[in-house]
Amino acid sequence: MAGETPLGDWSASLQKAQADLMRQWLDMNAAWARATSPLGGPAAAAAGGGAPGGATGGATGAAGTAGLSGAGAGSAPGAGPAGPFAGIDGGDVARRFLAQCEQYLGVSRSLWDLVGRSAAAPDAEQRGKLFTDGLGLLQQQFAGLWAATPFGAPAAQANPMAAFGMPAFNMPWAVPGGMPGAMPGNPFAQAAGFGAMPGGFPGFSSSAFAGLFNQPALGPAREQQQAWQQLSQVAARCGQAQLAVVNHWNDIIGKSLRELGERLGPRLKSGATPGSLKEIYDLWVDSAEGVYAQVARNAGFVQAQAELTNALSAMRAAQRELVEEWARQFDLPTRAELNSILQQLRELQAALKR
Amino acid sequence: MAAETPAPGATAGEPPRSPALEELADFQRKLAASYASLRDAAGVEYGCSDKEVVHRAGKLVLYRYKPLAPSANLPPVLIVYALVNRPYMMDLQPDRSVIRRLLELGLDLYLIDWGYPDGADRYTDLNDYINGQLHDCLSVVLREHRVASTTLLGVCQGGTFSLCYAALHPQRVRNLITMVTPVDFQTPDNLLSRWAQSIDVDALVAAHGIIPAEVLNAAYVSMMPFRLLQQKYVNLVDSAGDRAAAENFMRMEKWIFDGPGQAGAAFGEFVRWFFQENRLLRGTLSIGGRPVDLRAITQPVLNIYGKQDHIVPPAASTALEGRLGTQDYMALGLDLGHIGMYVSSRAQRELPQAIAYWLQRR
Repeated sequence: MAGETPLGDWSASLQKAQADLMRQWLDMNAAWARATSPLGGPAAAAAGGGAPGGATGGATGAAGTAGLSGAGAGSAPGAGPAGPFAGIDGGDVARRFLAQCEQYLGVSRSLWDLVGRSAAAPDAEQRGKLFTDGLGLLQQQFAGLWAATPFGAPAAQANPMAAFGMPAFNMPWAVPGGMPGAMPGNPFAQAAGFGAMPGGFPGFSSSAFAGLFNQPALGPAREQQQAWQQLSQVAARCGQAQLAVVNHWNDIIGKSLRELGERLGPRLKSGATPGSLKEIYDLWVDSAEGVYAQVARNAGFVQAQAELTNALSAMRAAQRELVEEWARQFDLPTRAELNSILQQLRELQAALKR
Repeated sequence: MAAETPAPGATAGEPPRSPALEELADFQRKLAASYASLRDAAGVEYGCSDKEVVHRAGKLVLYRYKPLAPSANLPPVLIVYALVNRPYMMDLQPDRSVIRRLLELGLDLYLIDWGYPDGADRYTDLNDYINGQLHDCLSVVLREHRVASTTLLGVCQGGTFSLCYAALHPQRVRNLITMVTPVDFQTPDNLLSRWAQSIDVDALVAAHGIIPAEVLNAAYVSMMPFRLLQQKYVNLVDSAGDRAAAENFMRMEKWIFDGPGQAGAAFGEFVRWFFQENRLLRGTLSIGGRPVDLRAITQPVLNIYGKQDHIVPPAASTALEGRLGTQDYMALGLDLGHIGMYVSSRAQRELPQAIAYWLQRR
């Protein structure tokens, strides 16, 4: 659309169109829930995340929703879908599809607005500068969308539209069985089990146990106290590792935006603009993938990913140790006992084969 | 830049709409249609060729495909698929099935479905898979056909297993075909390998027992996160209302995300021995206490790789050349990616014919 300028009320019109789209999205989700639930009816629609009444109304609400649902959302896909096709069905695909389309709209709109504002400047140099400066301002917004939050739950899971000023809805990934994740901070961190660990552990609260963690482990409860202290230390290690990964993702987003600027800037200076939202979006994806392909190979990124994965493994092991200790006190079977039996079975089988 | 003109078709009295708003409105229409198509495709079927169970052992199932054409009088082919992901990718739908094309060429096909490991399989190791399950499946095929050896077709990790097996039991393998198979696990362009180098795999296995499929899926999609986690869904809107496209998409999506977890012991050995230590290439690998020497492979070998493969880079596969005991080695590079090797129209046209042609001349 070279030579064209967005209308003055473009943003308002676009917001209205997006609001229409969101309503449509909600309707579709509600319809989907009714169609796929054996119960049907309003309850099923609400469970599908589609009832308009489920909207929480704001980024704070979204964060609260995500916080509450973190364990569920993380544990649902990873809690043990041992059976065939667990964790994937038509609903998952449809929800993932809609969620990513929402993000697409948000990303495209931000970039489109920036292009429109920049293109309106009369001077070529000014157009280029406006665009480059504007991309810099998008850094935080985009990083919030793609970079991971602590413990591997991507920020996008909370409310992908919050970064774009859109209200939070009861997103499908906020319910068990919802979307497993958007852009990863760490491929292993968001995966089954990992993402759910801290929030999913019963009764775990660093503030509530802060005093306990800091005191020397003495007396009859020393072993338990030490186990909790170890868990606390591992949790801190996870937090640091996650922060390192987030920093890398911020770097990726920043570099990607600069790359986009280098691709689009000259066109804007010459007075030409991209022909469509999709064209800008595709340029953004090309830029981001190009940057990511480089950064993902860097030693720093690789090391940060590995450290997070290793820290999460340690966290999971520490959690299990606590759970098993609790189970032993009630004479309940534990994974360690099962493993011991499995080892004995293997030895027996091997002996029989000999 | 001049003000935008009203969109074509706008009637008098309506506010003018920018092309971007038109695009958005169009997107909205397509989104609804795409969503409906996806919903309709939710129960899509996959796996199109008739087959029968000829052997079961625990969670493993060995299938034999029913013929679709007169026999080409070639040795039966045992397809050894990877532990990651499900083998129906080889037989996804009638027009996207390497298996179907091979059947149409008169080949007699067997396929190993390793199944879904659960907590009881955490100690299943590579020796169990290669010298146990694969060996037993091949025994069934050899017994059925009363032959001493036959053709192995190993796919991806299954190709690596097949190489190991052929090196350990050369007398039972008449021909070896490897498809998108990693041999050198440390080529510079191997992103997965880079990520794997510093992972404490023992801790990972100890933490999980069975490595969840989601861990592997997350690693795969993280190789191109912007495309694979978002853009592909956005692009789906362009095929709005196209039921066939929605079904194709749904089948692929299902295959990507319905993979099995990995038995911890085998996963740990595979990551450590292959990715981290590159033992197969270096000649330091042992399975079940026996050394795996690629020079023991003296039978004909056809090595098929994708020139655009980002999961198993071409160099990871072509490293096989010059490391075998056979003089009858042929590498076939197709201008395809890892997934395209199974489902692309080009693969459907070229791959089965190449395999059949190569086999007929052995």
